[in-house]
Amino acid sequence: MALLTPFSKVPEVNTATVLLIENEEELQVKLANSIVQHEKDFNVNVRLAKKLPLPVENKEARPRLDLIVFIINLLSERSFQSAETSLAHLHSDCFLGKVCFLVTNARCGSLTQERLLSVRRLASSHQCPVLCSEHRTADGVQASAMRLLTLLKVSAGMSPLSTTALFLSSLTRCSLSSDLEEDFLQ
Amino acid sequence: MDARARSVLSRVLRRVPSRDMGALLEKWSCLPEDQLRAVDYTRPRATLTEHIIGLCEDNSLGLKHVTNLEMIYHIENPDQGSWHACQLTDPQDDAASVELVQFKEQFKAHLLGVVRHISIKIKKHEDDAIWIRIAWGDNFHKPNHLKPTYAVHHLHTSYVFISNLAAKHKIFLSQALEVATKHTSIKEGHLTTKSLTAMRDLLLRRYPQVFPSAQLRILKERNAPPLHPCIAQEHSELEQTRHQMACEAFGPGPAPKLETAVYKLETRYRGHGSQTLAEGEEFFRGVVRFSSSSLLESFHHCVASGVAEGPVTPLLSAITRKGRNYFVITDKGPVPPGQSAHRT
Repeated sequence: MALLTPFSKVPEVNTATVLLIENEEELQVKLANSIVQHEKDFNVNVRLAKKLPLPVENKEARPRLDLIVFIINLLSERSFQSAETSLAHLHSDCFLGKVCFLVTNARCGSLTQERLLSVRRLASSHQCPVLCSEHRTADGVQASAMRLLTLLKVSAGMSPLSTTALFLSSLTRCSLSSDLEEDFLQ
Repeated sequence: MDARARSVLSRVLRRVPSRDMGALLEKWSCLPEDQLRAVDYTRPRATLTEHIIGLCEDNSLGLKHVTNLEMIYHIENPDQGSWHACQLTDPQDDAASVELVQFKEQFKAHLLGVVRHISIKIKKHEDDAIWIRIAWGDNFHKPNHLKPTYAVHHLHTSYVFISNLAAKHKIFLSQALEVATKHTSIKEGHLTTKSLTAMRDLLLRRYPQVFPSAQLRILKERNAPPLHPCIAQEHSELEQTRHQMACEAFGPGPAPKLETAVYKLETRYRGHGSQTLAEGEEFFRGVVRFSSSSLLESFHHCVASGVAEGPVTPLLSAITRKGRNYFVITDKGPVPPGQSAHRT
């Protein structure tokens, strides 16, 4: 099974690429527009996909991916399952700071709490951060885009403070301790 | 003006919104212009209605004029009430040469011969549609003008659209239509909607359609703003094929606005769960009902966005292909509800 590897290509000068994976294909377009409009210092390429594995035809043309974002809608079980199955197609090197989860609708009451817990469990087992996003307002989309851009800058190696993706991920990764889990389940 | 005419008139006037009232009365052209101009349409409805009824009485208008007004109103606003379609089959040799005058004469003659008290009005609209209004009575009662049946037929097509027809009058109307259009039989069309325009567009194929062709001609996706050059879709091929499938099944552009689709199941239960259900000789009866404000658009979106996977099932694409929205599914495949599948 061909896995998506992060280091198989040479990076381009002053360019970063982010891959947004979403089953519903709604928020990713808005986020993409917002990201591309906000970043002026360097070139940002955004690739949109519904799930992994990516089509083989695009392999040559695809630039090196610096950040892979899974967008999960907490109101849909299918969204979560699709993200879970897609994770299997990533090489383990990706999880050293190049993968992050973005969840939407985390505020929607008790419906989403269990699913949020499963997402957090998944993220902590892979040591990735979880971001919560408000996708219904333009401000919310812009805020999420800025956060993703911050992560992207670090993982593409463009952060001025010479932080590496691995170091950042050790600070931002989702951790789920056992007593927190009990809190949620109550 | 007698009480009957007045009640029909007040009923019609009640349904017309105030802003359309002026135009409607002008089109009717039964009231003199100076009186019409004097009507103040901003007054409360009750006074306005009384005023107009008063004007009609002054001009000694009768039931005939009132039914004319009602018909004009329905022709202008066809998307009310519930319409269903019937199809004329087996045309005789000279069916193609039937023209309007002949149709009118035959239709009226047949119905007047069969039903004692009946009131028929036939009008031809500009787009070649013949509108028929029938108020039914019987041996003891005068025609009931408060519950008229409307039928619309386009000459030389095989469809008739009917609204508000009681079961006991169905046979009379069917016979009259068969005689007047020179067809041998008429059968159920299994299409029911609220909107006449949607029904007409669907059956007479007056909506944008795409015909499946051997070469994969990719259609441009409508309403999709062009993406920024830095944004790239990974699965663009997949998306194009999905869009193509959706357009072939449900049309690329604005589709006729159907509201529901009903599938009645008369099949055997085939699941692995309950043993008792699977063993029974009885059919597992169920009804699946889809409803939406615009059903075909919803289906198009489902397929084009990937919510429903794979090629469009023929059960759904049969809605546009056959122009029906009521299906009965039996184990041997869908059959028209007239025939029944007997299993011993």
